[in-house]
Amino acid sequence: MRGRAMLVAVLAVMLAGSASFVGAQAKTTITLWYPAGDVAAGPVSPLHDAALFGPFEAASNVHVEMVGLDYDTMEQKIFAAAAARNIADIIFIDHSWASGFLKEGMLEQAAPAMAKRWLAAVSPDVAALSDFGGGTMYGYPQMGYDVYALTWNKQQFQEAGLDPNRAPQTWDELRAACRKLARRDPSGTLTRVGFAVRHVGEPHGIVDKFAWALWGAGGDLINDPNALRGGQVMFNNAAGRSALQLVLTMLNDDKCTSLNFPDPRAAFLKGIASMQISEAVSIRARQPKEAPNMPWQSGWGMAVPPVPKAGDQPVTLLGGWLFSVPKGAKNKEAAWKAIEWLSTEANDYAIAAKFGMTPRYKSNWTKEPFKSDSYDQALLKIAKYGRRYPMNLGLDGVMQALGAGIQKAWHGEASVDQALAEAAAAGNKAIADAAK
Amino acid sequence: MRRGLPQHRRQARVFAHAPRRDDHVINAARRSVRWMYRRHYLHAYAFISPVIILFAIFRVWPSVQTLYFSFFKVELVRQRLTFLGLGNFLDMFQDGVFRQALQNTLVYALVIVPASAALALVLAVLFVEEFRLKELFKAVYFSPTVTSTTAAAVVWWWMYNPQYGLINVFLRLLHLPPQPWLLSSHQALSAIIIFSVWKTLGYNMVIYLAGLQAIPAMFYEAAILDGASPLARFTSVTVPLLAPTTIFIAIYNMIFALQVFDQVFVLTGGGPANSTNVVVLELYRQAFQRYRFGYASAEATLLFVIILSVTVVQHVYSRRFEVAY
Repeated sequence: MRGRAMLVAVLAVMLAGSASFVGAQAKTTITLWYPAGDVAAGPVSPLHDAALFGPFEAASNVHVEMVGLDYDTMEQKIFAAAAARNIADIIFIDHSWASGFLKEGMLEQAAPAMAKRWLAAVSPDVAALSDFGGGTMYGYPQMGYDVYALTWNKQQFQEAGLDPNRAPQTWDELRAACRKLARRDPSGTLTRVGFAVRHVGEPHGIVDKFAWALWGAGGDLINDPNALRGGQVMFNNAAGRSALQLVLTMLNDDKCTSLNFPDPRAAFLKGIASMQISEAVSIRARQPKEAPNMPWQSGWGMAVPPVPKAGDQPVTLLGGWLFSVPKGAKNKEAAWKAIEWLSTEANDYAIAAKFGMTPRYKSNWTKEPFKSDSYDQALLKIAKYGRRYPMNLGLDGVMQALGAGIQKAWHGEASVDQALAEAAAAGNKAIADAAK
Repeated sequence: MRRGLPQHRRQARVFAHAPRRDDHVINAARRSVRWMYRRHYLHAYAFISPVIILFAIFRVWPSVQTLYFSFFKVELVRQRLTFLGLGNFLDMFQDGVFRQALQNTLVYALVIVPASAALALVLAVLFVEEFRLKELFKAVYFSPTVTSTTAAAVVWWWMYNPQYGLINVFLRLLHLPPQPWLLSSHQALSAIIIFSVWKTLGYNMVIYLAGLQAIPAMFYEAAILDGASPLARFTSVTVPLLAPTTIFIAIYNMIFALQVFDQVFVLTGGGPANSTNVVVLELYRQAFQRYRFGYASAEATLLFVIILSVTVVQHVYSRRFEVAY
């Protein structure tokens, strides 16, 4: 009897021990760095939801630890961490940072078979963001379009005698609307601009909000958008001149815009700019808080930016954020698994629907709520004309050069020709330096 | 001679008891250590060693490494260095953006140092007099010094806002036209200089106050007996006797002015059209946006040489103004 009790006790201890051993078995923890704040493609970022990876963690014994970084210094922190060999397993990066990271050989290439399947299944604009040339992928874009659009204030359009449901389609229409919408105080000082331009701050931001005009006129930043090394800038030409001249005409002749106004988005939301071109998602995210009396559809509208003349093909900037795996990641396999889980068709639908974002898969666009949502459908229409930046390793230097050139021309520090020539020289040098 | 030992061991035994030069050195070193121990030098070094070690690790070593990197193409992630000789320096002198950044930095430093010093001197002279709420005003003027530059710059960014900013509100009240300030490539650098003068004024004022209090009253009494006016006393007594203080303020402010970064980064980001770009911002961009660490190191090295040269010249020149009282 005593012996049996002893045996039961020993078995109980063994069972408890093995159970606690199994329970205590360490999960693999991988880290994901994302920008804190509402900067990435949606009014609410799914990355702010701590339970986002819950189902994946339950099925895989991998814990995804999400760490929010300050957006302004995130690029630098990622680079410093990579150099120090202490980087996250997944980094959520702005598409425009990718060329700099590739220059340093920092990003892991996605599995070619997975990439092929992905590129075939997603909508063409998402495929364009994903494909770094020849079907090579260095990350998966997040759901949610980060596309640039012309937004306009419908009430101000109506007051100025313009059709509130029709955006200017050509540059001439843009100028005409701009003139009608501008308002001045008795001293003649502009109190509201018809069209707000971005002309200060980081040169990247200036180029972002100018690209539609340059591309629309037939210019480009670099001649080959898919070449990582080499090439020439493509803005020191008639297209670059006409794009710069468009704003200069509105500034000096039409006097319907001004360099004394703040960031176009802020000016638009404060009601001191009737039109502007920037990230549509940013207006969507900020409007309820900053301009509650100007709701989507009845208060503001969005459309693809205007073209130089009727019949031209519109072009607009398509940005995005990528889930990438750095080469220095400690758990690459688990990191790719987590990204691929996020990028399945079912999860693309579920997460996009839950967080009010646009899906990436073609098939998900045929489902509700995306099929009937007016905002999503408007975005989809604009995204068809979306173009991403070139992938050149010297892109940052080209953008710095062009941004400074735009500022010089608009601020009257140089003629258009001079500003473009200087920017072209600096841009070509940056391309050559990066290719060394 | 005994057998069985190799030649050099035998020689070592022969000289073992003879006084050697090494023994003298060792004995001298021992005496020196004992002397240092008695005089508490060892304790002193032990106490300051944490600071020296930390300074060496976080200041000296990175500086030496920066100098070293300036001769290479540096790929930190790949951990690869490619020797370029003076290539980075030659590139730098052909780089229009860097030349403009250098010019802006020099203009900034050459304006802010005398402007801030002159205003601080005027304030300090006023604060020598007795009046109500003097200490409160002193604290008000000093408060920008203890405020974070970034936080203060954000506030000033709003003040400079052309539509809603306080400064343009005042201009409108005075029936003056509002100004674009930070949005204009012609005014942005001046706007940053105004902010920086405001930021540094309090510190300089306190240093001048200390200098003024050190001037013996007999000089002023003699000047008054000679019939000197207040302005004459200021120009002939105060200003010359404050020369060492002025030199200190000039050197100190110049060193920091040439390294200006925070306010430019927050207020303008170097724009518009590079009109407020400065050397430290430019090297930050080269390093952390374009990953050209070697080139950025060359820019940092040049800035170091400029600061060192200016400081040495100021220091040597300052000897002509040494006063004793």
